[in-house]
Amino acid sequence: MDIPAMRASFARAGAHGDHVPLWFYSHLFLTHPDTRDMFPVSMAHQRDRLFAALGEVMARVDDLDALVPILQQLGRDHRKFGALAAHYPAVGGSLLATLEHFDEEWDSYVAASWAEAYGVIAEVMIGAADEAADQPPWWEAEVVAHDRRTIDVAVLHLRTTQPLPYLPGQAVSVESDLRPRLWRWYSPANAPRPDNGLELHVKARDGGPVSAALVRQVQVGQVLRLGPPVGHLALDTGSDRDLLLVAGGTGLAPMKALVDQVARQGPARRVDLFVGSRTEDGFYDRADLRRLEQEHPWFTVTCAVSHEKGSSVEHGDIGDVVLRHGPWNGRDAYVAGNPATVEDTVTRLHSAGLSMDRIRTEVFAASRPSPTVDGKVTE
Amino acid sequence: MTTSDSGRGYEAGPPTADDLRAVHFTPASMLHPGYTDREVDAFVARAADELARLTQENAQLRQHVSALEQQLDAVAARPSPSDQAVGILATAQLTADEYVAEAEDFSRQMTSEARAQYEEQLSAAREKAGAIIQAAQEAGASIAASAGRGSVGPAVPDTEQLQEQVAYLKAFGQACRTQLRSYLEALLSDVETEWGRAHPAALPPVPVGVRPQQLERGSGPATAMSFHGNAAVDGQHEDAAGATAAAVPATRVPS
Repeated sequence: MDIPAMRASFARAGAHGDHVPLWFYSHLFLTHPDTRDMFPVSMAHQRDRLFAALGEVMARVDDLDALVPILQQLGRDHRKFGALAAHYPAVGGSLLATLEHFDEEWDSYVAASWAEAYGVIAEVMIGAADEAADQPPWWEAEVVAHDRRTIDVAVLHLRTTQPLPYLPGQAVSVESDLRPRLWRWYSPANAPRPDNGLELHVKARDGGPVSAALVRQVQVGQVLRLGPPVGHLALDTGSDRDLLLVAGGTGLAPMKALVDQVARQGPARRVDLFVGSRTEDGFYDRADLRRLEQEHPWFTVTCAVSHEKGSSVEHGDIGDVVLRHGPWNGRDAYVAGNPATVEDTVTRLHSAGLSMDRIRTEVFAASRPSPTVDGKVTE
Repeated sequence: MTTSDSGRGYEAGPPTADDLRAVHFTPASMLHPGYTDREVDAFVARAADELARLTQENAQLRQHVSALEQQLDAVAARPSPSDQAVGILATAQLTADEYVAEAEDFSRQMTSEARAQYEEQLSAAREKAGAIIQAAQEAGASIAASAGRGSVGPAVPDTEQLQEQVAYLKAFGQACRTQLRSYLEALLSDVETEWGRAHPAALPPVPVGVRPQQLERGSGPATAMSFHGNAAVDGQHEDAAGATAAAVPATRVPS
């Protein structure tokens, strides 16, 4: 396997931009028409990602220790798309045909290197998929309640037919028959329950096909499909420090899951949750938070609005409000929300003396169809 | 019996080609020509077993090869698509992508405009509500102030006092109305008696025993009953229960 030669070849082909993945998928669908059903109607986003992902894999191909776990995760995750071992040679064939088409200096030597490299990648992915065969490729989840809380936020209560193991704070991908083949990531707002119940907080993004359908169209009784969980915002079980949780928008969901985990599993500790919103209408889950506050003496909730004067709750950017209630230097901090909120809050907490290794974050933004090689699930 | 190199002539297991070439059997004896029967029989049996096994394996392999050849043919029969075909599909895909993107864009635009409108109306409504409340408070304050100027005792009477006054005024109004009505009725009755005697035909017939006052009293529940769907038909509707219900049948006679 001549890695420098492969990288050079990949770079030459990559210079043709969007035409390369377009050609690749067209070739794949013509040679294996059955694979077309695994993709959404619009391939625009898919195309951007394929070569980005391939590029990331190529960049690490000489560091197999780092690459293998990533490929294993990808292999497990691809089961939900219906990917079978038989599809891997098909993809490999089209990949080589594509590189050959675009690389002016393609020869049998480079071809052999690519074939070998792809063989290794496919083997690792298939192996990981086979190892996960005791788990379903996806989990069916019935919508048992759909609660439209604001003009663009809904809280969905789901129940999976089989237990879906995940850590509180992780995200699962969601697909609906309303928008087939479009998978989006959502964090359950609870720790796993014996009744397999899941609570999802969904904000409809303007023009977002999946989120808008989940907020405005999904009916009780419909069945969604959930993919295996990913994500790193998990409670540090090695620590029993008190917690500071900061949530903006539907970043509340993973925070609520952490509260649920402390309530169910302990260890006992103080948990202070700060919820930020532009206006007071944005507190879509206030009643339930109040209930939790009453049930758990160790738990407090503080709401803050940034863009509404004369409201009854605190005023200011959430990061600012958090600091006003400090100091938090003895805490483990967890922050989830939109990129600006997370960055601002982390910067403030850090400058107030909280060390970075005590701050864990999850940025909530438009969902990626699949995680990056680093396990990132948002744009 | 011995073989040239291994001496495995009697041993179990499949004989190799070399075994066959180098096999030596012990001459039976000086008196009987030929080999020892037992050795020959055993060796032939081993050779037969091996031949059978090889034949079977050969058949399996042949089958396997033909299956692989078929697969190979199938792959060869699906030729790599021509660049033209790939190009056409690529164009079709791009067109589909554009339609989807346009639809999403349209949806995004509509939604954000709708939200902007919603927020605008909401804040306008809030402002309006705020203005109304403020105006009401100001009006309340000015009324209280003027009331305070007019009264001799405490400047602003408390709510309880006001409620008492309102109740008193209501009762007073009711009493006045009853008085006036009785007076008017008496007057009408007089007029009726006097004028009726003079021109009985000029008067509409008045149902016996139904005095205008009773009609007035009964009209409350009767109207209420008309809202209860079938109540007017069966006349026994449970919803009409209560103190006033007794008056209802009497007042409903004309209908």
